[in-house]
Amino acid sequence: MATLQAQDFLERSPLYRRHAGASLGRLGESSIVAHYGEYDESAQLQRCALIDLTNLARVGFRGAQAAEYLGGRGFALPEAPNRALTQGDGGHVARLSQTEYLLLGSLRDAGSRIAGEETAWQLGEGGNYLLPRQDSHAWLLLTGEHIAAVMAKLCGVDLSAGTFPVGAVAQTSAARINVIVVNLPEGELPCFHILCDRASLDYFWGALLDAMDEFGGKPAGIDALL
Amino acid sequence: MTAFSRLPAPMGLLIDRSRALSFTFDGSNYQGYAGDSIASALIANGRWLLSRSFKYHRPRGPLTMAGQDANTLVQLPSEPNVLADLQPLADGLTVTGQNFSGSLDGDRDAFLGKFSKFMPVGFYYRSFYKPKGIWKVWEPIIRKKAGLGVLDLKFQPEYHDKAFLFADVAVVGAGPAGLTAALNAANAGAKVLLIEQQSYLGGALAWARFDIAGKRAGELRAELVGAVESHPNIQILKDATCNAWFTDNFLPVIQGNRLYKVRAKQCIVAAGAFDQPVVFRNNDLPGVMLTSAAQRLMKLYAVKPGKRAVVLTGHDDGYLAALDLLDAGVEVAAVIDMRTAPADARLAETVKKADIPLHLASTVYEALHAKGMRHVTGVDVRRIVGKGQVAGSGTTIDCDLVCMSAGYMPVYQLLCQAGGKLAYDDAQAAFTLSGLPRNLAVAGSVNGRHALDNVLLDGGLAGGAAADQLGLSAPAAGKAFAAEPRVNFDWPIFPHPDGKDFVDFDEDLQVRDIVNATRHGYRDVQLVKRFSTVGMGPSQGRHSALPTARLVAQATNRSVSETGVTTARPPFVAEKLAHVAGRGFDPYRQTAMHQRHVELGAKMMPAGVWQRPAYYGKPEEREACMQAEARHVREKVGIIDVSTLGGLDVRGPDAAELLNRLYTFAFAKQPVGRSRYALMTNEHGVVIDDGVCARFADNHFYVTATTSGVDRIYQQMLKWNAQWRLDVDITNVTAALAAVNVAGPRARSVLRKLCQDVDLSAEAFPYLGVRQGTVAGIPARLLRVGFVGELGYEIHVPARYGEYLWDALMQAGAKDEIRPFGVETQRLLRLEKGHVIISQDTDGMTHPAEIDMDWAIARSKPFFVGKRSVEILEAQPLKRKLVGFVLPAASSKPLEGHLVLNGPDISGNVTSCEYSQTLGQIIGLAYCAASQSAPGSQIPIRVEGGQVVQATVVKLPFFDPETKRQEL
Repeated sequence: MATLQAQDFLERSPLYRRHAGASLGRLGESSIVAHYGEYDESAQLQRCALIDLTNLARVGFRGAQAAEYLGGRGFALPEAPNRALTQGDGGHVARLSQTEYLLLGSLRDAGSRIAGEETAWQLGEGGNYLLPRQDSHAWLLLTGEHIAAVMAKLCGVDLSAGTFPVGAVAQTSAARINVIVVNLPEGELPCFHILCDRASLDYFWGALLDAMDEFGGKPAGIDALL
Repeated sequence: MTAFSRLPAPMGLLIDRSRALSFTFDGSNYQGYAGDSIASALIANGRWLLSRSFKYHRPRGPLTMAGQDANTLVQLPSEPNVLADLQPLADGLTVTGQNFSGSLDGDRDAFLGKFSKFMPVGFYYRSFYKPKGIWKVWEPIIRKKAGLGVLDLKFQPEYHDKAFLFADVAVVGAGPAGLTAALNAANAGAKVLLIEQQSYLGGALAWARFDIAGKRAGELRAELVGAVESHPNIQILKDATCNAWFTDNFLPVIQGNRLYKVRAKQCIVAAGAFDQPVVFRNNDLPGVMLTSAAQRLMKLYAVKPGKRAVVLTGHDDGYLAALDLLDAGVEVAAVIDMRTAPADARLAETVKKADIPLHLASTVYEALHAKGMRHVTGVDVRRIVGKGQVAGSGTTIDCDLVCMSAGYMPVYQLLCQAGGKLAYDDAQAAFTLSGLPRNLAVAGSVNGRHALDNVLLDGGLAGGAAADQLGLSAPAAGKAFAAEPRVNFDWPIFPHPDGKDFVDFDEDLQVRDIVNATRHGYRDVQLVKRFSTVGMGPSQGRHSALPTARLVAQATNRSVSETGVTTARPPFVAEKLAHVAGRGFDPYRQTAMHQRHVELGAKMMPAGVWQRPAYYGKPEEREACMQAEARHVREKVGIIDVSTLGGLDVRGPDAAELLNRLYTFAFAKQPVGRSRYALMTNEHGVVIDDGVCARFADNHFYVTATTSGVDRIYQQMLKWNAQWRLDVDITNVTAALAAVNVAGPRARSVLRKLCQDVDLSAEAFPYLGVRQGTVAGIPARLLRVGFVGELGYEIHVPARYGEYLWDALMQAGAKDEIRPFGVETQRLLRLEKGHVIISQDTDGMTHPAEIDMDWAIARSKPFFVGKRSVEILEAQPLKRKLVGFVLPAASSKPLEGHLVLNGPDISGNVTSCEYSQTLGQIIGLAYCAASQSAPGSQIPIRVEGGQVVQATVVKLPFFDPETKRQEL
């Protein structure tokens, strides 16, 4: 089987050149880093790792009828703003305001459910508007025991476990750009899902790796996560 | 001087005797141990002279051994003004002295001390400027003498960064009070951050003696430190300086190359107290040091500080220090107590039993020295006969070490920054603090508690109180405070007729300097500071504030409370700019096609935080590249990345109404499938942005905005709709959509190869039409635009497809010779069309009439933001106008900002100007007086070098006045 190249796909992460040399896997209509193959990425995840999930589907909905719409499509919704829930299929829903929701796709179905939601939506008369989060925001997964310490080098909000519990969402600034941080572990693995301006991803990826360096942080692929 | 051997363990808490280190100081080789400071290692080698004083170049040795004075400033290869008593020793380190002429040992400038009478306080304010012009003579001499140390101009910046730290309770200082406070708060469940400036915990427990047997400090320290270090709720920062206190316990803490920004709900300052010197003649000689410094040398570094010592004290701790010296094998020639008796009579008995002569109610009047003043050789001891007065004769005692301590000054700096008020307690001859905010507490000697049991109790109470404030339950701290003896001698100042009785070691200020300042009329201690520079040196008044306050009080017949001390501003210790700057965060944004531009050799330029291609080619070929790209667009087809253009989706039943209110044009009846120019004014009628509103459905507009303005426009939309509460959703999709403009006569031919589901014919998709379809299989929004004055299609696609779209268009356009063009080329092309760029061709005063935008105002609308102001402005006579102008190709080309003249007055300025190959002349836009704005008028423009060129005003646009090319 030929080796996958990011440029074989229409959809590309802004970071694909930074992933040069990594083994890629297919993710729907795009590619994703499976592994770098240079170190034990499972152990790296536990210590401090960063995964580029930018090509994994995500979408937002906002409006007075957004909750009703999403409920009708089988999503479990957080009861309060700035909270997030993991769905039965491994995806996540974060509530960003009284009427705004962010749907994060699952690696288990390569994001197909959420991609389908984006395709299926039509602008109608009702108060429910799709927000193109896959294109407006990049998606990074910061893992390991040092995630709060890493973020403390970039962000003025206390994201330590005691004050930023599982399921919490922070809409804040890190390294001088706006970010959404969602605390949703993968099993026992501490994880921050970080969504930032897609156009700033090259900058923010560098800033995060720099902050991770003192903890031995490195980028990783999704194989170690699955 | 002979090298001293190290004292046996347990002396030497900080050193590792198994790791010997070699280093040089002023060219000589020395040995030390890991854990030594530069100063401790030098003293262990018998080297006392470390620096020269600032003004008189007097020889100086360590005073505090705690980084609290300027006597140990030395030069490292890449860093001047390093405190040798703080800087850890490293193997191979090269250290030199600074601020000397010739050599440190034989400083030729030492003669200056002999002329101190001619350099009284403030002399430089009254010298050097008369007769007129003499300053030019003095200036180079003074500049040569000024400053300390040498900068390494080849120094490569090191990595510094910042990090936030969050705590329930921050405890500043890890002495006995801080340790107890931290433990008590942590035991109650609080998350505690313990900040310690030194490299060890325990504070004075590590080096001071608290009982005659000399056992309690060590045992207590082991117990407390063990408990703190093993406590899961306590995070410890050692070698960390809390450098300021800011509102709500925001604490900048410097540790190594990092600045921590600490946020604490509660803060306890247990910073201790500074040991205070006694003021007598030659109190600055090497070998004269604070008692605590000698104890630090012994306990922390196992360095025997002398062979024969004199201890001068104003409190009982001096007796205990004498016992320490005795234990270390130092002969104690005398304990000199300025009081009439110690508070604890057992101490007098103990020193007498040890055959140490005790001189009560006495002081050192003068420290003696041999030629060169390189070390103290003895002291002249006199009986005290009055306040600052001594007997006419006394006793001379030979010694090579003088330990002095007049008392303690609380480390009040952080607390005063928090609003704390200092008051002088005459009974205790000490300052007390009050008026602290609720979330800030003090404990230990900074709080006036000096007896160890009281210190521990005070720390425990503070920790418990902090826990209570957090809603946690802390165990009771214990019994009541015991009465304490006074620790400060009330007047430890003994002026000498020959001076050199230093109040401020940093600035070489003697008693008479302070008194003379008051005689010049500077009665306020703040003015005394500024006139005399007392307290302005590196030690920031740690040792001079108290004697200065006393001297000023006495000289002005006021109390010390009335006099007060000078303001303690941040930072607490000198901090590097690198700490303040930290790791630079300079966000940048890149479009989805960014790498393609780089690969094509684009010269990138910033556009706000975006990176955009200016043109494709080498910087030195800018003009040629731009002209070639422009010609290509005019004759064939070009492609430009316009992803940075602001994009806002406005959706909902009231979308048209919102735009109708925000923009000057009318949008209520705008047909679906069409775009319309959109001009925005603010409440003052000033033009603030423009773009187009593309209507894709009755309830969906896609609004473009300028690259730099979109975030502001988005905020404006949200702000206004928060008032209007229209049923509309506003989404900023700038980053979500990648976009290109394919422009030129062959644009349709290129697009047809990739877009089959939209009829691209001029009839079906005319100028200003908008469509949704697919391009290269990608869902796309298509806009017929004419910004550069050619047939053009803006293609907006989801950002994930941006690079693929670029590749597809470049490939599909190959036969039509498609060529990328950059922002600067685009600016030239639009200039040829006379299109303004908001914020380049407009400023903070521009209203629509000035830029001929009257046509973009729907006057029949009842309201738009700025309508009333625009009407008022239009009713006034026009004062200036933006006009197009031309100049012959051979003329000097005006630059943006060059002035337009109207007789002797300035009437405007150039906003845009380029050479147009298409037109064969220089073209530009400029503001000028309304009277100069008629086509055919001549406007004088002052260009580089002051030359004035006469430009001709012309009607806009410069190119294709019938606009047929863009409507193809």
